[in-house]
Amino acid sequence: MGGMIKLLYTLKKEFLLITRDIHAVTVLFVMPAVFIMIMSLAMRDLFELHSSVTIDVLAVNRDAGKNAEAFVKAIEALPTFKFHRLEKDTTTERIRDRMLAGDYKFALIVREGLSAFVEGGGGGRGEKPLELLVNPSVTVQTQMVLRGALEAKLAGMRRDAFVDRLGGVLEAAGVDKTALKGDDGSPVEVRYAYREGRAFKVPSAVQQSVPAWLVFSMFFIVIPISNTFISERGQGTLMRLESMNVSRISLIVGKMVPYLFINAIQVLIMIAIGIHVVPLFGGTALTLGSSPGGLVLIAAAVSFSAIALALLIASLARTTEQATTIGAVLNIIFGALGGIMVPTFVMPRFMQELANLSPMAWGLEGFLDIFLRNGGAADVLPESLALLLLGGVMVALTVIILRRQTEV
Amino acid sequence: MPLIDIKQLSKSYNRKPVLDNVNLSVSSGSVLGLLGPNGAGKTTLLSILTGVIGKDSGDVTIGGLDLDREPGRIQSMCSYVPQTLAFYPRLSARENLEYFGSLWGLRGKKLKERMAFSIDVGSMEAFVDKRVDTFSGGMKRRLNLAIGLLNEPAILYLDEPTVGVDTQSRNYILETIGQLNRERKTTIVYTSHYMDEIEQVSDEIAVIDEGRIILHDAKEAILMHADAVLIRVGEMGEVAVAALERHEGVRVEKGNVHIKRDERFEENMTAAFAVFHENAIGVNDIVFGRRTLEEFFLKLTNVRLRDEE
Repeated sequence: MGGMIKLLYTLKKEFLLITRDIHAVTVLFVMPAVFIMIMSLAMRDLFELHSSVTIDVLAVNRDAGKNAEAFVKAIEALPTFKFHRLEKDTTTERIRDRMLAGDYKFALIVREGLSAFVEGGGGGRGEKPLELLVNPSVTVQTQMVLRGALEAKLAGMRRDAFVDRLGGVLEAAGVDKTALKGDDGSPVEVRYAYREGRAFKVPSAVQQSVPAWLVFSMFFIVIPISNTFISERGQGTLMRLESMNVSRISLIVGKMVPYLFINAIQVLIMIAIGIHVVPLFGGTALTLGSSPGGLVLIAAAVSFSAIALALLIASLARTTEQATTIGAVLNIIFGALGGIMVPTFVMPRFMQELANLSPMAWGLEGFLDIFLRNGGAADVLPESLALLLLGGVMVALTVIILRRQTEV
Repeated sequence: MPLIDIKQLSKSYNRKPVLDNVNLSVSSGSVLGLLGPNGAGKTTLLSILTGVIGKDSGDVTIGGLDLDREPGRIQSMCSYVPQTLAFYPRLSARENLEYFGSLWGLRGKKLKERMAFSIDVGSMEAFVDKRVDTFSGGMKRRLNLAIGLLNEPAILYLDEPTVGVDTQSRNYILETIGQLNRERKTTIVYTSHYMDEIEQVSDEIAVIDEGRIILHDAKEAILMHADAVLIRVGEMGEVAVAALERHEGVRVEKGNVHIKRDERFEENMTAAFAVFHENAIGVNDIVFGRRTLEEFFLKLTNVRLRDEE
């Protein structure tokens, strides 16, 4: 009973200290909220099917044939790309200048001879009837998307022309020409894979960004912890507390429990932002998955590990400046390495292996299991155990360091 | 039986002795002034007595309890007021008192009563709900002391409690300490660099240097063992100072004339008063058989330094 009351007063004290520390509030609550909003909205179209992104493309048709005109009309119907037609005699230099001046990502030149190419004629296997000028700022992936679309359209037109040429033969053989031509739809059906095949929402940017920035911000607990811990040590408050029959272990537990609550509040606020605020700005609402137990487990494990790291840094650093600098730099490295800023699946193999060194990567994988793959408590158990084990080691180190510091 | 009894206490850091065979006893209801230069071992001694750090060897008994066996019970009857401002600047004085009081196990009516007492002793009614980081140095020092009174300690350890405060707050703190000792019979162990403070508040004085207690006696006994007469005078010009210091056994320091009690004492006294008369210098006070603590401390530590060279 007495211990519980002491804990309640300690909680009250820590909450008052944090709410009166504008830097801590900014780092723990404002920064992740802003990141979640920005990243959820900025990356919305990368994850969602109803894309509203358009990429401007300059287009010049130098072929007077009907096939070339039909090709240009067909590609103008492509989603994502918006074609701006230029006069057929516009020189390549002029096109390049306009592209760079107008910040167009691509310029497509339909060369003379495309119509003949479609009909199966032209100058042989090495002939390239299309020329694509690419702005150097364009990623290879985006380039591949446009190239793929152009190649598919051209191949489709060549197939249809071929079928038409064989028209008489096919009719005599009783083959339906239209069936051979096919349609413009993709023959590939895309389905997302979820744990145990449970039905779930299509992944959205908010499902990706809430876990990422939540894990990142939870590790920023190092700022308020080191601020209060180092001040307590420097101002003799720790010594005063120890003289009041408050044991070192109690001091550490008394520091950890309030911050576990603060991390829990962070989780609730960031989830609330994902569910209620992001949709107000046109984003998709966050969906929580179906395992509250799994969510609590991984959140508690990330929190324990983050607080233990903060205590270790605070016990090693001499000043708050040292602790906050070391803590912030370490967090950014962990974040960059652990897939917070750049998803690990786009990293090269050796970087993906390096990412496993970051506890943020473990936490993020756990949250993604819940939010994105509809996993349960059993799915996040490996990551949670790893985080709890790491946290335990760091707490033990902190106790040893504090004992040595008091004795010296 | 003394309230605090320390026998052959030793403590080393990295094989360097910080406390070396310390023997010291403090009687119940007294004020012990603990004097010593920086690094002498004062804070280490207080840290051991308050149970913050362990000792290497020796015995410490406080209130009849063995520090090794019952540190928790000893801690609950003591309070330590560190030299630093050991509280939370972003909280108000009331919030600080409430937090530290709760750690002493106080709650409800008892907590309120003890907080009211501490607020009253610290004379903090006017600013108790303001954030501490808006306080002056003196207000912070009073809060530092007030927190130390929450558990009604039988023993109060005060480590330089008046560092960096204005004269008013300093006097207030010293008066409060005297009052606590007189009215509540609180035993006080007081360290300070200000000799006049120690002289003002202490009943007993102990001098610690290089981890050893080199002197421990009643204040009056220390101050009365004088070897000079002290004459406090008014303004003195250079001519008068020179005239006085021509006599062997006469020394002028900070407006005070010290006349050594030796075979020339009467001759020097006569000569000194002649100089005062000739130069129209008023005599404010004559202290027979007494010296200031500062003189004594400097002399004691200088002798030791000389002896060791």
